[in-house]
Amino acid sequence: MGELDGRVACITGGTRGIGRATAEAFLREGAQVVINGRSAEKGEQALAEMNGGDNVHFIAGDVMQREDCEALVQGTVDRYGKIDILFANAGGASNHAPVAQLTDEAMQDSLVWNFWHTFWTMRAALNHMIPQESGRIICNSSVEGKMGKPALSIYVVAKHAINGLVKSAAQEVGTLGITVNAVCPGAIETDVMMAEGPGAAESMGMTYEELLAMFSEESAIKRLNEVEDVAEVNVLLASAAGAGITGSLISIDGGTSPY
Amino acid sequence: MGKLDGKVAAITGGTRSIGRGMAEAFLREGAKVVVNGRGEEKGQQCLAEMDAGDNAAFYAGDATQQADVEGIVDFAVERYGRLDIMCLNSGGVQQTAPVFQMSDEEWKLEVDWNLNHVFWGMRKSLQHMIPRETGRVLVTSSVEGKLGKPGIPGYAATKHAVNGLVKAAAHEVGTLGITVNAILPGLIETDIVRETGPDSAIAMGLGTYENLIEAFSGDSAIKRPNTVEEVAAVAVLLASGAGRNITGAMFPVDGGTMPY
Repeated sequence: MGELDGRVACITGGTRGIGRATAEAFLREGAQVVINGRSAEKGEQALAEMNGGDNVHFIAGDVMQREDCEALVQGTVDRYGKIDILFANAGGASNHAPVAQLTDEAMQDSLVWNFWHTFWTMRAALNHMIPQESGRIICNSSVEGKMGKPALSIYVVAKHAINGLVKSAAQEVGTLGITVNAVCPGAIETDVMMAEGPGAAESMGMTYEELLAMFSEESAIKRLNEVEDVAEVNVLLASAAGAGITGSLISIDGGTSPY
Repeated sequence: MGKLDGKVAAITGGTRSIGRGMAEAFLREGAKVVVNGRGEEKGQQCLAEMDAGDNAAFYAGDATQQADVEGIVDFAVERYGRLDIMCLNSGGVQQTAPVFQMSDEEWKLEVDWNLNHVFWGMRKSLQHMIPRETGRVLVTSSVEGKLGKPGIPGYAATKHAVNGLVKAAAHEVGTLGITVNAILPGLIETDIVRETGPDSAIAMGLGTYENLIEAFSGDSAIKRPNTVEEVAAVAVLLASGAGRNITGAMFPVDGGTMPY
């Protein structure tokens, strides 16, 4: 008996990192899961590693394209007959710089990757969830959705925007059995962090190692978070027990954020 | 295989309502549990209803008395050999009023019940947990720990205060395998709310108990009170291994009431 028996989940960017850990936790709890990523090859590899048989499915798509976001939600419904849980998880940012030197393109790309993709998938999912009067939407925000760091404004802005979207949407559908929440993890050394962290560190005038040390030092636990931390909270939010939690910005950051 | 196999928990105000829900959830996940309350009779009734045999014990004590609160920790260690999870859950108001009409007696009671009890229990349990380098402290705070409703100033002030205590303590023990978190429920129709709600409704200018429930529900997105089970599920997560990297957090269980 899993906590998500009979549920269907859709996860953006689910082949690695937090999305992958969440997919595995959802599968363990009895859900059927669609994962997404740009690369069909990485998708096939993830499916092989997860070994979830017919209960897990990969849909290739670029979350920076609206059509791909909408096709992912529709593809989930086509494959498993409905969508109960959306985890809008993909995100990151490239070409960090202090605001004075920031390019339009860097800000725009971060907003599309993090914020617009969340909006597109949330809107599409709500259009399925509202008629069925049940659903769970979880958005992967960040501790940077509550705080602010120099030279990381493109990420900070996009994550703050997601938190605002979550609060409004939660109020809109609160009486329809649908919850909308944000999880706000501290720094985790995922593939995206390893790819984008060195550039972010450079824009802040430090090495990648110093960047990670800075995130650890800000926390109470003096270490980075782990993908499993987020996956377990996601199970709670997605389960029946999460019915009374909505519009919340859940801190999973080892004590970094003060609120 | 439970999520809390082998763990020992103590819960202040554990015979009824939220504390009782936590106790039952912890027992289901394999923990041994000490529940606390003032009345021996209610305690024995609670043990009988939970039907958990040697895995549950009752400790009679008043959460507004330091010796009683500290005694819970000693009792748990004596009874089960250790204490892994301390739930400082008891709290409430007795005869609340707006600030300009608030009596010293009520104010002191609310400070002892909601704040000092949490400090006494946290200090004592941390003294036990720090040498062992493992532990979980869960404080039942409230949406009123972030907001402030007219007519319940003592409750709002003391719940804000425990949130500050949680944040500071979390940073003190963060590298020792000990987490300290607050759970912030919205209104739940517990026994205490049913008993004191009618008077609170008058103090808050809402007239009736029904209006009180509606006022709190109306603030939420779900337009209903929360449930004990919703809080208990969060308590299990934070108490379990899965909660090891969540600390100093103000975990909302409020149906979308608080904006932050």
